[in-house]
Amino acid sequence: MRKNLGLWLLTLCLTTASAGVAGAQQRSISGRVGNAVSDEPVAGATVAVAGSAISAVTDARGQFTLSAPAGPVNLTVHAIGFKRRTVPVTADQSTVAVRLDQDIFNLEAVVVTGQATAVEQKNLPQAVSVVTAADLQRAPTPTIESALQGKIAGALIQSNSGAPGGGAQINLRGVSTINGGVDPVIVVDGLVISNAAIASNMNAITAAAAGGNASNQDNPVNRIADLNPADIERVEVLKGASAAAIYGGAASNGVVIISTRRGTAGAPRFHLTQRFGQFRVSNFMRSRVFTDSADAATFTSDSLAGVYCNLAGNRCPNYDNIGQLWNEHQLSTETDASITGGTDQTRYFISGLMKRDGGIAPHTGYDKQAIRANLDQVLGARWSLAINTQVIHSLSARGISNNDNAGTSPYLVFPLTPSFVDLRPVNGIYPTNPFERSNPLQTYAFLENNEDVWRALGAGTLRWEAINEARQNLRFVVTGGLDYFNQQNDIYSPPELQFEPQDGLPGTVVLGKTSNLNLNLLVNAVHTYIPASGGIQATTAAGLQYVDRDLNFTNVLGRNLPPGQRNVDQATSININQTLQPQKDLGIFAQEEVLAMDQRLLLTFGIRADRSSRNGDPSKYYMYPKAAVSYRFTDLGGNSGDEVKLRAALGQTGNQPLFGNKFTPNGTGTIGGIFGSLAGGVAGDPGIKPERQTEIEGGFDAAVLRGRLTANVTVFNKTITDLLLVQTLAPSTGRAQRVFNGGKLRNRGVEVGLGYALAQTPEVSWIVRSTFFANRSKVLDLPVPAFQVGGFGTSLGAFEIRKGHSVTQIVGRPIDASGNPSVVGDANPDFQISFSSDLSYRRWNVGMLWDWKKGGDVINLTEFLFDAFGNSVDNAAGNQRQAAFGNPLNPQTKVYVQDGSYLKLRELAVSYRLPQAATSQLFGSKVTGASITLSGRNLIRITNFRGMDPEVSNFGNQAVARNIDVAPFPPSRSFFLSVDLDF
Amino acid sequence: MKQTTLLVTVAALVAGACDFNITDPNNPTKIGPNPSRAAVQSAVAGILLAARSDAADWNLDAGILGREAYRFDGSDPRFTDELLAGPLDPGGGAFGGDHWSEHYAAILTTNDLLNVIGTATALTAAEQNATRGFGETLQAYSFLMVLMAHTDKPAHNGDSIPVDVNQPVTAPPAPLVRNDSAYAFVSALLDTANNHLTAGGAAFPFSLPSGFSGFDTPTSFRRFNRALKARVEVYRGSLGCGNPCYTAALTALGGSFVDTAGTATLNNGVFFNYSTNPGDAVNPLFQNPQTGENYVHPSIGANVESKPVSGVDDRYTAKVVSRPSNTTDGLTSALGWIRYPAASSPIVIIRNEELILLRAEANNALGNPLPAANDINYIRVKSGGLAAIAGLGGQTQAQILTELLKQRVYSLLYEGHRWFDVRRTGTLNTLPIDRAGDQRFSTLPVPLAERQARGP
Repeated sequence: MRKNLGLWLLTLCLTTASAGVAGAQQRSISGRVGNAVSDEPVAGATVAVAGSAISAVTDARGQFTLSAPAGPVNLTVHAIGFKRRTVPVTADQSTVAVRLDQDIFNLEAVVVTGQATAVEQKNLPQAVSVVTAADLQRAPTPTIESALQGKIAGALIQSNSGAPGGGAQINLRGVSTINGGVDPVIVVDGLVISNAAIASNMNAITAAAAGGNASNQDNPVNRIADLNPADIERVEVLKGASAAAIYGGAASNGVVIISTRRGTAGAPRFHLTQRFGQFRVSNFMRSRVFTDSADAATFTSDSLAGVYCNLAGNRCPNYDNIGQLWNEHQLSTETDASITGGTDQTRYFISGLMKRDGGIAPHTGYDKQAIRANLDQVLGARWSLAINTQVIHSLSARGISNNDNAGTSPYLVFPLTPSFVDLRPVNGIYPTNPFERSNPLQTYAFLENNEDVWRALGAGTLRWEAINEARQNLRFVVTGGLDYFNQQNDIYSPPELQFEPQDGLPGTVVLGKTSNLNLNLLVNAVHTYIPASGGIQATTAAGLQYVDRDLNFTNVLGRNLPPGQRNVDQATSININQTLQPQKDLGIFAQEEVLAMDQRLLLTFGIRADRSSRNGDPSKYYMYPKAAVSYRFTDLGGNSGDEVKLRAALGQTGNQPLFGNKFTPNGTGTIGGIFGSLAGGVAGDPGIKPERQTEIEGGFDAAVLRGRLTANVTVFNKTITDLLLVQTLAPSTGRAQRVFNGGKLRNRGVEVGLGYALAQTPEVSWIVRSTFFANRSKVLDLPVPAFQVGGFGTSLGAFEIRKGHSVTQIVGRPIDASGNPSVVGDANPDFQISFSSDLSYRRWNVGMLWDWKKGGDVINLTEFLFDAFGNSVDNAAGNQRQAAFGNPLNPQTKVYVQDGSYLKLRELAVSYRLPQAATSQLFGSKVTGASITLSGRNLIRITNFRGMDPEVSNFGNQAVARNIDVAPFPPSRSFFLSVDLDF
Repeated sequence: MKQTTLLVTVAALVAGACDFNITDPNNPTKIGPNPSRAAVQSAVAGILLAARSDAADWNLDAGILGREAYRFDGSDPRFTDELLAGPLDPGGGAFGGDHWSEHYAAILTTNDLLNVIGTATALTAAEQNATRGFGETLQAYSFLMVLMAHTDKPAHNGDSIPVDVNQPVTAPPAPLVRNDSAYAFVSALLDTANNHLTAGGAAFPFSLPSGFSGFDTPTSFRRFNRALKARVEVYRGSLGCGNPCYTAALTALGGSFVDTAGTATLNNGVFFNYSTNPGDAVNPLFQNPQTGENYVHPSIGANVESKPVSGVDDRYTAKVVSRPSNTTDGLTSALGWIRYPAASSPIVIIRNEELILLRAEANNALGNPLPAANDINYIRVKSGGLAAIAGLGGQTQAQILTELLKQRVYSLLYEGHRWFDVRRTGTLNTLPIDRAGDQRFSTLPVPLAERQARGP
């Protein structure tokens, strides 16, 4: 019955719609839309008859045709990346040429303000950063996070290691939590997707953490790495609660909204990018070079020194074992292909990716294949459907790195291995390392660590214009979809490896299977009202968002394998671990936006109510309000386009309790064959609630010199209350710790964005941009004694949370008379500055991006290890550092807490667009455009940090304790030669 | 109309997904109201698991503190410095601050069961009582173990341990009570348990591991309860209570399984089992006696008595072997442990040999030297293969006590007794000192977290 009703409704709508359109057709207008500077055609521009629903889209040659009512009309023309233009067309005019000014600084781009609402950047009351495809694709990138580095004021994006395949943290506006989750909400085409980081359980080999289960020191990849950067049209980043409130209870770390590319009408247009390149190590640590046997005897015994240092004059040989390991430079390739086209009823975008990034160490690398199909279908005048589908496969081989207690991770072996021992294979046989438990060259030759991920994203969005009148518009937008991935981790450490027999169980195999399913439903109703009196526009939006997540992690660890066998079944010692994390979240929201005073004033207020199965009370709604205002002072000094906007915004968001915070799990075991369940050490809080962030931000956006110079300045102050804290209990309660909400921290900072069009002529375009960000945090209230949240104990430097201090402070020795450690550093940068330049001259383009982080200390334990074993490349200085570190009267942890400042040339690209004649000659006449690009990423790296890289994090993504360098995988730089073809 | 359709559809979708209650999919939670028999069984085994978790650590640490053992551990020097030279660190959970939290976790596990057992409709009233009696007895054992580690005899009237701990986790910490009150509490708890067991019918509503065989019905389990009661009363007696407690000890022994008949087995008693089965633990005190980190204190070998014809004390040869000499941190030993010869060797909770010696101690204190001497000589002959000491019953009370304590050392070696025996009997200074600066500790400190939770 309901089906019939629906069909009837659909038929009715279609009939009404076609009738309406038919009645309006009076005459035909055709024309061409071109770039105001270069007169190149603008494809995909929307040309609409003002005050009607009639519109058309330009084709690849920039041409359009539409049917317009009789009489004079105004055509509104807009295209992404260009400023809107309204052109009058007289009653007898049938052709028109429109030239659009480039919207260099995206002033007219619409930016999200809610789940289904957006306003133009020039009205936007919050500082939302927008990164467009052009900015993302300046230089090829393995994963999307690295493509965002240096492009968002207020974001600190750092790679956790140099291993191929990603693993990076996006931190927006400083620390927002101490023990809670650290990931922003990632939304792709309306779908909340998983950014889980699933550990491989390399811990089974490294024993980095006690207990033998998967650990956050396993160098995991957070799964946003799966996305194909070439598919992304734009990324909008809601950095704090004032902008992110409409995402509510999980949005305290911000929201990253990713929109993928969509089809444009016209004949099929193909784009092909083929890249060839290489990854090379950009920095790694070497070890001490020994002169003669006397020098060697300061490292090892006299007799061994004599054996190894047997060259003339008792000189020692010097083998570059370390350099040998990081000396791979396989060919890296990438093929991106896309097709777009369609009619004004049906548009499609189809893309495919095949890439292989070669690693810098043997048997490491990253393979990815992805295919996407985005479809837009008009189902009548009032209905439309958008379908987005993607399937991705990736395979990363990441080797072994990071902390280790079993002598397996290379940089825990090299500090004990002198350069006078030769670890290279002889006839394929790797020598035993007599100085440590493994030979890293052998380990990398035979150890397999593969992460194989299949991921499918599918979403459908149905739009329905229920009311479309001159004064009001009501539309419903419903998005449903799924995000599913299956990650398989295979680690195989054959029994022949030098370190394998040491636990008495030679041969280790790990099989990890993790699946995650996110189901999304997002329902929006948006009503726009323009009263007859004019002057204002009121947009009311309301809706709900439901997300169901189901994570299932299973890890099987087998030890003691027969030679050649790698099936876990063949292991004689088997450990199995499973973790399930089901979760359901529901949010209901409503907001009102009023645009008044000739689009100069924007007032917004809204509220979101969230409930989540992670909360102690899963049926309780937590409220997150927001309010914002902006006002534009336009036509400054009589110059059209010059304006200043003042803005202020206030909002709240939450950070959900961690999975399991509400539970008080019992331990289990057996005794005499009887299963028993006993009290566990941690008491959950059955009343646990989300952390709450309250943020106020304000600032101004200015566009002067006829829009050639833009400036955005924002200051923010966010306080987080109801922090998820852990209280140490009196052990007579039977438990060690209790989870609860309490305390308060603050983070305030300033963001600046500058853009200047130095030149904008048909021959030369030169645009420079810069961002600045600085923030400071403070613990305002702490109902528990000061505690450490990371590190390897006070003496080696630890992150300590203490009332009145910076959240990211690092403490260490000396310890004062009252037992308090001294502050020896702070991981928070003093400031960050980025600078980009895009210069095009005729057919040449040169783009670059510099990323400067000033300050922000890193605990350099890799150097500590080299120093402690007397094997540092600067041994004399290393001995001095050790003496200061271990001085019994005044021990100085500070020598290993080092300045992590860096200046990196993140991106550099030089491209040349071939003349049409050459293009035709080379590729045939069907090819309409061709360009050749030389590009590189992280080509220049300037830092005083003496460890591997100041970006690394031994413990992966961390709220506070990330800047710890313990034997990481070294960073790399990449170079690519690319050919782009359009046909 | 269209809106209505849409809204109805959406509402239906959301309503279908609206039950957000999830239970912990990864771990069990504590036993809930109206527990099934299976839930009671899991809780009972959980109590034993929790109580067992400190047994081996206690025997080792008390062995080091009481100069029965050394541990030369390359990765942890605290076994040779903190435990012998001090200072005992109340903040270090593994050493000075140890032997507290594990037993309180066992006490919490017991309370979780006792708090709901009255609601168990699957159990008869008698079965509920039997379960109570079991839980209270094991709880008393855990309290007693904490007390053994944290009783400082000279300060016997001072604060010692909290006992009123059956509180919500958010409640203020239970107050520390005086030592004598804590012992009285344990004694009374054992009596309560005994009464519940008496009303506990013929069988427990759960199975017990083989370490409880012979004590696995409410009636037979009462003999274990009374044995613990006897131990508590002898301890109280030696700590200042005197004759009333020693008398109570003899009464309790009458209900226990003390046995010196010809068929008596000194090893009869109650044990914690270990095994290599999945989920189970192996006995951590089982080591290769020639290569393990744990050594026998040389004074144990130096002071061992010879048997009448040839050889030394059978108890010694059953527990100690020679091994290559090792010197670490200025300590030397050439003796290894074979007290726990297998990964599945059980650890004693209480056994007949101790009960006989408790009876001797109570009789000696009460002025009955002859029965005391008989029991001591019985142990010398039966357990050690030594000659009986003629005229022992005619010696002074102090002389008999000295002989008794020596027999306790060899009978109960590596079972966690000697350090507390010398503390409670005022003979701490009989412990040998190996290095200048080493200390004889009179108690473990109350853990730092326990103090801090009560504020500055």
